[in-house]
Amino acid sequence: MLKSWKLKEVVLMSLFAVVFGIVYLLFVHAANIWAAVIGPLAYEWMFGIWFIVSIICMYIIRKPGAAFMSETMAAAIEVLIGNAMGPRLILSGVIQGLGAEAAFALTGYKHFNILVLMLAGIGSAVFSFIYGYFISGYAALDPSFVALMFTIRVLSGAIIAGIGGKYIGDALLATGSLRGYAIARAKKGDVNA
Amino acid sequence: MRNLLHDMNPSVKFILITLSMLAIAFFFNPWTPFLFWVSIILLQLTMSRTKWKLWLLFMLPFSIGAFGYLWTTVVFGADTGGTVIWSFAGLDVTDEQWARALSLAFRVMAFSTLSLLFAFTTDPVKFILSLMQQLKLSPKLAYGVMVGYQFLPVMKDEFIQIQQAQRLRGAKMQKHSWQRLLSMRQVLIPMLAGAVRKAERSAFAMEARGFTGEPRSAFYRPIRIGRIDILMSGVFLVILFVSCAGGSWLS
Repeated sequence: MLKSWKLKEVVLMSLFAVVFGIVYLLFVHAANIWAAVIGPLAYEWMFGIWFIVSIICMYIIRKPGAAFMSETMAAAIEVLIGNAMGPRLILSGVIQGLGAEAAFALTGYKHFNILVLMLAGIGSAVFSFIYGYFISGYAALDPSFVALMFTIRVLSGAIIAGIGGKYIGDALLATGSLRGYAIARAKKGDVNA
Repeated sequence: MRNLLHDMNPSVKFILITLSMLAIAFFFNPWTPFLFWVSIILLQLTMSRTKWKLWLLFMLPFSIGAFGYLWTTVVFGADTGGTVIWSFAGLDVTDEQWARALSLAFRVMAFSTLSLLFAFTTDPVKFILSLMQQLKLSPKLAYGVMVGYQFLPVMKDEFIQIQQAQRLRGAKMQKHSWQRLLSMRQVLIPMLAGAVRKAERSAFAMEARGFTGEPRSAFYRPIRIGRIDILMSGVFLVILFVSCAGGSWLS
């Protein structure tokens, strides 16, 4: 899978993972304090933030694996920085990344419009919810409460990760620093270059 | 004795911790996560050189989170039956529900402790090297992550620089922390643009020095699996087994 990747694309993912790893950690701490007040629901509405790096990286690099690897890398960087979530973050990163990747794979890595990006956010939300259902024991909660959590998470994935990811990607493209990446080539109408 | 957890192979430790978490997630009685939590603390007390003050500081937000889990599970718990042990504001709490709530809260505590054990006893660079050597992570990815990791302090400086530059030009600082959170993109976009340029430069430098990213078999800093790892795997598995069996038996 990595054969067709240029080193600069791998390093780009890694540096994005660093920036977002820090952002993710900030939000983990904010969410933990929230969680004491309103319970697990606190995490749900901001869940989309934790999916955003996979969508931004895929939007820029447009190669199979970009969503999965960047999310996993961000999780790995969070672990390297040293935090209390530890290795289990890597596992949730892998799962969230796979969710976004699945959405891009479904569209054959050909379209990167807003709908596909939102679908990727939803993919991450669904995958991470299934994993969370198991690991955090949502089975012990009332089904209607679980349904509410699920709905909020899907919305958050679509809006924060999908729309927010596209917004950041476009803003970054406007700075002109992305020349030499697939996103800039696609803008010129030369998709397959 | 105090070096055992530090000297373990990071990949082995990583796999053991992940396995334990997945196993514990199957249990909904309060005793299993509780026993596991206590044993992990004991393990870290006896076999590591942890700075406990820092540990407590890290643990604090998770204790708060665990409390959140406790009360939501009591209030929004699934109907499980059982006898009512106390009522509060028109809310009946059954013993089953209480047991489940305790179980989930202890699970949060157990997982955080387990994660802290890893964080406090693992050298990040060794962890990446070990992932590459034992778990066959592609060197392209492994060194890519390491580049990112080494850029951390640079990123921190850059963050401060961008903020200062913006203030110099008269950009207003938001007063409330939530407003600052929303105006994050002011700093985020320049940071990311800088990251793109750094990525290009460092990738170019790596390739200029002959880095190909091909899988390899010889390493400059070999990380090995030794007798300690077999011993510690045994210890972890015993703890896991005792908490699972003991927890089921006690409840």
